[in-house]
Amino acid sequence: MNSQTESSGVGTNHDLHVQLKELANSLSEIVSSIRAAHEPIVESRSKVPEATQQLERIAQQTQDATHRVLDMVESITKREGEIESLLKQLQRVLPATYFRNNSRVKRVIGEIAKKTSDNQNDAYAIMDALQFQDITSQQIEHAMTVLEQVEHRLHEVLVSFGEEDLKAPDEPSRKRSYDPNARYSSDHRG
Amino acid sequence: MASLKILAVDDSPTMRRIIVNTLKRAGYEDVDEASDGKDALAKLQVDKFDFVITDWNMPEMDGLAFVTYLRSSAEFKDLPILMVTTRSVKEDIVEAMKAGVNNYIVKPFTPAILNQKIEQVLQAAAGG
Repeated sequence: MNSQTESSGVGTNHDLHVQLKELANSLSEIVSSIRAAHEPIVESRSKVPEATQQLERIAQQTQDATHRVLDMVESITKREGEIESLLKQLQRVLPATYFRNNSRVKRVIGEIAKKTSDNQNDAYAIMDALQFQDITSQQIEHAMTVLEQVEHRLHEVLVSFGEEDLKAPDEPSRKRSYDPNARYSSDHRG
Repeated sequence: MASLKILAVDDSPTMRRIIVNTLKRAGYEDVDEASDGKDALAKLQVDKFDFVITDWNMPEMDGLAFVTYLRSSAEFKDLPILMVTTRSVKEDIVEAMKAGVNNYIVKPFTPAILNQKIEQVLQAAAGG
């Protein structure tokens, strides 16, 4: 009985020893993994502000470009309006005989007026489509906020690794307000 | 139509420009702009407006807080308000209506829809 207990006690000690060794190896691997992860975390955290600034620049450049297109559209619609007005003046100053029946002058003026109107409608359609800029801008603002949240999390991880002196991430330079679910869809317009 | 004075409130300069252009094309010549609820309130204190078109997501004072404030004020409680926003889920629309907007448009909008909603709000306001 005693020898059985002794022998099973030896077995238990041996198992425990093996388990402790495995645990020690696992802990060693975890520590190595954490050490290995440290550098990529530092690197990733340092890249977030650059990525955020790049998104900010994209949003600004898209807005600037949109406004240049709006400038052009406004110039086009203004000129088309002036052409319509000039055509009406032409109709007033030309002798009425020029517009009798299906005269060539009547047809040409009619065609110019139609094309002018079509151009104006197309220009307004371009203007309407530029609403995409507001929607994509909100999507970019959302992405920037998510990136900043990731930066804060990575900062917390590094602080937990013992880097208490690490500079905290900068706060956003301006207050943001956006719809995180903003979508551009011409299907649901209105 | 032309005598209606409208205030367009949106933090996006692009949207303000598109809304103002669309309104002028429809014959509403007297249109002013504000970049958020706070800016809009300052303009409402100085000028008399007949109609407000407002976005929801804006810094400083958002559209919902702006509308809630207007509806709690004796001076602006009946001012017609149309909300134009990207927020399209039913719960948001219900929340905006509860706050006091007269009608609601989801961006991107068409000029026809904008004009139709303005007309609907004006007709409802005229009907009492």
